[in-house]
Amino acid sequence: MLALVLVGRGATGQTPGDITVEPTMVKGPATAPVTIVEFSDYQ
Amino acid sequence: MLKEYPGRVRLIFKDLPLPSHALARPAHEAARCAGALGRYWPYHDKLFAAQPNFERADLVRYAGDVGLPVDKFTQCLDAHRFAAAVDADVEQARAIGVRSTPTFIINGRPLVGAHPVENFRSVIDEALKDAR
Repeated sequence: MLALVLVGRGATGQTPGDITVEPTMVKGPATAPVTIVEFSDYQ
Repeated sequence: MLKEYPGRVRLIFKDLPLPSHALARPAHEAARCAGALGRYWPYHDKLFAAQPNFERADLVRYAGDVGLPVDKFTQCLDAHRFAAAVDADVEQARAIGVRSTPTFIINGRPLVGAHPVENFRSVIDEALKDAR
């Protein structure tokens, strides 16, 4: 399922279409051609 | 990676506290409180450095360590102001099939688990080629 869903393309770097972006939790310019979405657990 | 690819890479962090990690959820909520007060990334880095010490008193102490107003931070934390936002991230992960941490999605390409930096370079370089 992962590979099927992750085809959405943002305005620049590709971001899965269903992923929301909290501006405080972003590093790097919105115009960057590559977007890394990191799902992590602090513990 | 951001320093290595200046201007060419953007990182979006998403919360995925695992149910098996009892202290993870309050840590994620705490980081969002730090973000609302303008210090998300310093607090984020502090949490990773302090793993796994995430009792409430620890979370409050870290807020002071990174220069946050402790009273406002504590109010936010105790009110669970960002619980729904963390839940939303967890739901988004579930919806796209992300089950474990860390999971990275680089221009649509999943990279699951801890990987050597060379693997990130390889995927990023490929994504940059495709983006041309």
